Amino acid sequence: MRKPEKTGSKASFFRRSAVQSVAASLICIFGGLVVGFLVLLLMAVFSKDIPVSEALKGILIVLSGPVAAGNPRDILFTCGNSLFTATPLIMTGLSVALAFKTGLFNIGAPGQYLMGAMGSLIVALSIPQGSMPAWIIWTLAFLAGTLLGVIWGAIPGFFKAKFNVNEVIVCILTNWIAANIVSWVFYAHQEQFVNIAETKTNFIRKTISNGVSTATLGLDKLFAGSYLDVSIIIACLIAVLLYVMLNKTTFGYELRACGYNRNAARYAGMNEKRNIMLSMAIAGGLAACGAALWCLNGQQDFKWNTYQSLPNVGFNGIPAALLASNNPIGVIFSAIFLRYIDTGGSYLPGETAFNEYVSQLIIAVIIYFAGFSKFIKDFLNKKNNKPLSVSPAPAVAGTAAPEPPDTETKDVPAENPDIQTEDVPAENADAQTEDAPPAENPDIQTEDAPPADGTALGKDGDRK
Amino acid sequence: MDNTRKAPSPAPETEGSPYVIEMRGITKVFPGIVANDNITLQLKRGEIHALLGENGAGKSTLMSVLFGLYQPEQGEIYKDGKKVVINNPNDANALGIGMVHQHFKLVDVFSVLDNIILGIEPASLGFLRKKEARQKVLDLSKNYGLNVDPDALVEDITVGMQQRTEILKMLYRENEILIFDEPTAVLTPQEITELMNIMKGLAAEGKSILFISHKLNEIMEVADRCTVLRKGKYVGTVNVSDVTKEDLSAMMVGRDVKFAVDKEDAKPAETILDVKNLTVKSKLHRKNAVSDVSLQVRVGEIVCIAGIDGNGQSEFVAALTGLQKAEPGAQILLCGEDVTKKTIRYKNTHGISHIPEDRHKHGLVLDYTLQENIVLQRYFEVEFQKYGFIRFDKVRAYADSLIERFDIRSGQGADTIARSMSGGNQQKAIIAREMDRAHKLLVAVQPTRGLDVGAIEFIHEQIVATRDAGSAVLLISLELDEVMNLSDRILVMYEGEITGEFDPKTTSVEELGLYMAGAKRQNGQKGGENHA
Repeated sequence: MRKPEKTGSKASFFRRSAVQSVAASLICIFGGLVVGFLVLLLMAVFSKDIPVSEALKGILIVLSGPVAAGNPRDILFTCGNSLFTATPLIMTGLSVALAFKTGLFNIGAPGQYLMGAMGSLIVALSIPQGSMPAWIIWTLAFLAGTLLGVIWGAIPGFFKAKFNVNEVIVCILTNWIAANIVSWVFYAHQEQFVNIAETKTNFIRKTISNGVSTATLGLDKLFAGSYLDVSIIIACLIAVLLYVMLNKTTFGYELRACGYNRNAARYAGMNEKRNIMLSMAIAGGLAACGAALWCLNGQQDFKWNTYQSLPNVGFNGIPAALLASNNPIGVIFSAIFLRYIDTGGSYLPGETAFNEYVSQLIIAVIIYFAGFSKFIKDFLNKKNNKPLSVSPAPAVAGTAAPEPPDTETKDVPAENPDIQTEDVPAENADAQTEDAPPAENPDIQTEDAPPADGTALGKDGDRK
Repeated sequence: MDNTRKAPSPAPETEGSPYVIEMRGITKVFPGIVANDNITLQLKRGEIHALLGENGAGKSTLMSVLFGLYQPEQGEIYKDGKKVVINNPNDANALGIGMVHQHFKLVDVFSVLDNIILGIEPASLGFLRKKEARQKVLDLSKNYGLNVDPDALVEDITVGMQQRTEILKMLYRENEILIFDEPTAVLTPQEITELMNIMKGLAAEGKSILFISHKLNEIMEVADRCTVLRKGKYVGTVNVSDVTKEDLSAMMVGRDVKFAVDKEDAKPAETILDVKNLTVKSKLHRKNAVSDVSLQVRVGEIVCIAGIDGNGQSEFVAALTGLQKAEPGAQILLCGEDVTKKTIRYKNTHGISHIPEDRHKHGLVLDYTLQENIVLQRYFEVEFQKYGFIRFDKVRAYADSLIERFDIRSGQGADTIARSMSGGNQQKAIIAREMDRAHKLLVAVQPTRGLDVGAIEFIHEQIVATRDAGSAVLLISLELDEVMNLSDRILVMYEGEITGEFDPKTTSVEELGLYMAGAKRQNGQKGGENHA
């Protein structure tokens, strides 16, 4: 039995919303894996060539991620590369998550990512090697890429704030504009940027050719010669900073208020238009920053004629953010997890009769489940509410409950019984007839009108 | 009042039940709250039975159970002495139970007739046959005195006629048990009188009526019996003729409630708010929502703008507080300073407190905690932030102090998510926030909307207190009781113009009603200038 007051700070472990978010995400992941397994099973059952046991083998490979590589050295190497490729995904995930927190849908991360890549590559390859220390070139390139992303993100923000144009439309347009700008710019300066030395004419020179690469602090050696460098640490730091910014500062308070309720933010005197622009600009900067971190690694091939395709890492920021319930810290884990599953999937064609797209399917199903995360949280609430339903003080219980019946019955059209019956159980239906005390308030009961207590039978009441 | 207590009688009376509907021992539980605890309701044939209770007392839940929207954990429902199970509104309909919701369920772009037959359209071979339906509706409307134009579009007709359309909907379906959920909230005094007569007529025709309300005057006037609920429990059923208004309110609240607001006469001093020639364009239609309104509010007085919903009050406040743009030519002076073009933030920090009309749309960020909502306009002040970081310890201490002073009740104190609080406590949180901010002018728009008498009493006391502490108060209210009780000066707004100015001591509700409905207007009234 719990003390009635201030259950918030002392609430049981499972009632904390953070714990519930994590639990909901884990349930989503589990659901996705189960469905993935069922698909593998069905493929095996309906195929003459694949034995049913292959399904189990397949799902285990996906689950084992980089461990599927085999020997310890390969596992380390694959882990390192998975972490490295998770870095831009963390950044685009943060980009999408921040926009979501402000009530915006940043589907423009691919374009912002491309602009970031272009900006950082141009600076990193244009400043002659030796003219200044390499770390300064690196920093300038990083900042240039991020700045281009900021500008690219601010464009949809501007149109949204100024003319109330849906940011999704502008984002999609700016994505393709970015793809074409990048192609044109590099096409016009092929001799300067294209990797002719290695005869890879579809790709830009690696920045290491100009002496620019991200510090590794031995991480590459630790992970058996993988590409891993400090960019993963930078990404994690940015995630933590973003978390602090959102939750501890006045600026974050404003952004979230705008996201939750734009009208109330306006009423409170916040400049919601400025906040929309800033939010999109920062989101753009984050996505571009991911691109800069990836390109400036020094060893990466950037495909420059992008006019027909947008980078997947931009779009995959959306599932990373969704799976993390838009929590910046959570994005670190969700992005790494998505790469983990991807890596596992990449071993499927070699080891089994299945192809690597099974991992994409699992991720897709996980995202579908993530759509149910509110439902899952409600379910967890229901499970864990039982001991607590005893707790509220009578006075609180009487007034603090959300009066669900009022809003439900009044707002839902009577002609549509389906809606009502579906809504109700998800939100309210939680029967604890025995547990919950009747809502009564001793303070305001007077003797002349005591509440009937159900056992006392009044025989004269209705027929007098 | 001892003999008014009545508890559920478990003895089944299957034969010749005097009750057309009997709900016995209904218990409905929601997480953390028992919304209905062993409630019994017996409705006689042909009576008007009022269901009285505060907000959250469980009236709506009980009606939702009867209407099939919720399934009770315990309890049984009997129709004419036979046990029935109502799983959904269609079952309820089949049993002859109809409901007029507080917010009408009408299709705005359909005609009255189309709305009435919606769902049970007479048709043959897939083609509508409206002729017979039309005749039936006309007959019904004639028999019961329900004056409607069957061909008018719902969006074009008055609220009163929309309500009559809803009633016709029930009659068309030959319902004999009619539930009215707070039907008078949206009506003018004249329309209320008309509705009362209609209800009496329906009862005389043998219809049984359940009338949900927390307006005691109406219950006293129209109801035969009254069942009172308090905090989910059954308090008693009384014959209305045996009791007084005060008895009923004591049963409902559990203590005596003052109906008149205790306040001394206003001692108006210098002008705080001076609005000149304010015109606001409507977002809904091409006419101006507010046209050329001028008024003043002085220190130490409560000025009330009365009017039927949608006559420009909302737009007037929106322009005043900065949420909406005023047309050029307007001037808003706050303590002599022209604030017409200032930002909302500037107005907030220079003396305007605003209790907004819609607490969910403007008043609160529902997904924020109570403490975050408490500092919604103050988070940036030195007291609550340092180097851009919010000082949550200070915020919490401040929120806790307001929670205690204003008796804001919630499950988890300052950490409660605003969405999970009851409407009354959400409103209290807003009141606390706006009252405690330094202000020279309080703009209170329907501050007691949807609240029960206990909470209304509290909020009225607070508003009078802020007046006496040296603020000017501009009150916008649709409730005539509130207008008459609370204000020191009344301005009636009709179609965007001030059509009359009254002293609450010398005017009557009926007189105000005529002005609110546009039937009368004072000559040369062009705003509030001629009050001085």
